Amino acid sequence: MLMTEGIWVWIAGVLTLAIYSFLYKDNPLYKIAEYIFVGLSAGYWAVYLFWNFAYPNLFQPLVSEGNYWNIIPIMLGFMMFTQLSRRSAWLVRFPLTFVLGVSLGLQLIAAVEGDVVPQLAGTFAPFSKGALFNTYDFWTSIGYIVLLVGVLTTLVYFFFSREHKGVFGGIARTGVFYLMIAFGASFGYTVMARVSLLFGRIHFIMYDWLRIIR
Amino acid sequence: MSALERIQNLDRRIIFLTVAIAVILPLFFPLRLPIEVTAPVQQLYDVIEGLPAGSVVLISIDYDPSGAPELDPATFSILRQCFTRDLKVFVMGLWATGVPLGIRALDAVAVGEYSRKYGVDFVDFGYIPGGAVALVNLGRDVHNVCREDVYGTPVAEIPMMKRIKSADDFGLVISMSMGVPGSDQWIFYYHARYRGNLATAQTAIGAPKYYQYLQTGQLVGLIGGMKGAAEYERLVDNYGLATVGMDSQSSAHVLIIAFIVLGNVIYWMEKRRKK
Repeated sequence: MLMTEGIWVWIAGVLTLAIYSFLYKDNPLYKIAEYIFVGLSAGYWAVYLFWNFAYPNLFQPLVSEGNYWNIIPIMLGFMMFTQLSRRSAWLVRFPLTFVLGVSLGLQLIAAVEGDVVPQLAGTFAPFSKGALFNTYDFWTSIGYIVLLVGVLTTLVYFFFSREHKGVFGGIARTGVFYLMIAFGASFGYTVMARVSLLFGRIHFIMYDWLRIIR
Repeated sequence: MSALERIQNLDRRIIFLTVAIAVILPLFFPLRLPIEVTAPVQQLYDVIEGLPAGSVVLISIDYDPSGAPELDPATFSILRQCFTRDLKVFVMGLWATGVPLGIRALDAVAVGEYSRKYGVDFVDFGYIPGGAVALVNLGRDVHNVCREDVYGTPVAEIPMMKRIKSADDFGLVISMSMGVPGSDQWIFYYHARYRGNLATAQTAIGAPKYYQYLQTGQLVGLIGGMKGAAEYERLVDNYGLATVGMDSQSSAHVLIIAFIVLGNVIYWMEKRRKK
């Protein structure tokens, strides 16, 4: 038999075509596939998170081990639902404040330790103590100069407290060139990503479902 | 209606169709275009080659099925290299929907191709909830975060886990990532605190952002999209989906470039005509 007999492969194949049918025009088949996708995703996440996260980490230790501290996060979790009623909506501030506080504390350190400092060091370190052209080969050194010029001119472009005119305007325009190159690279990679997705589905249809390629 | 106007009013479905044809045709008539290995991919390969036998490689499956065409080939290739080099593999993930992908990859490579033993040569902890918070704790105490594996076995009963306690016990961490939580969290919350070797495989759309971390040494390697995965397949000498896909990629890219050039030419012609 040419086509695979697996029922799930058939369902996946038909749903893939149903989604792509939107490219021709909006139609009921597309709508059905879209709703199935949204419903399944929501259901999967809800069940998975409860049984693999909430139950073993919160409810099970509370019931079987008597870990009563878990009542606090459970209560905070349930308080998220209080916004469903206008009268109790104010209670949602407590869990949100907790989440925001933890996130802010974590992100502040992470942004400095993991991003700002290492990136600054990576940009300026090659220029320290005559390392340029002595430690690195010619083209790597040129690369570091190009990088530094890019960082500074792009920062100047985003400095809006002064009008972009004269020398200042010229530096800002150089920054725009760097931005355009960065956007171009991102666009190219985005095209590649989208074509990869299309290839993935076409390969699935041709190889796993219809089996017309080897 | 002139030819110019006809092209300007071209039904976009014709463009969709031509792109589909450009992707499908190379599946039947392979172009076998050369694939050159780039430095970021080679670096990751070299780091794994340099690890002593028995070292533990943590692979984080931070993607879902929509990222599979780009990231599955890289995952499979890295697993093949790890088991060829007699390395131990610790799999986990920050995406719940990535769990079946990790199981599938280990079943196919660890069990199917290399006959490795679960719990001794590799282990799978599935989805680790909590994102950044989980990673901060993971580096400090692995057993506290990974209490049960994906099959429900307690961590204390898994032989391989006896020697894995903290970030120091991982020779390399690789985040196979397509978004948040993913490589950002590994770089900012894990690597910033615990250092060590960290690498990433990215879907193409996210890859450009991570070259800067490569330059600063925060990453020791980077696989970008299907192209990077095809390069890795070449390095491990096991050609698969990514290599096949690169022909379709290339033909689609040529077509899209042609459309961009055509669009610009028509734009300038129209502008001149109006003058």
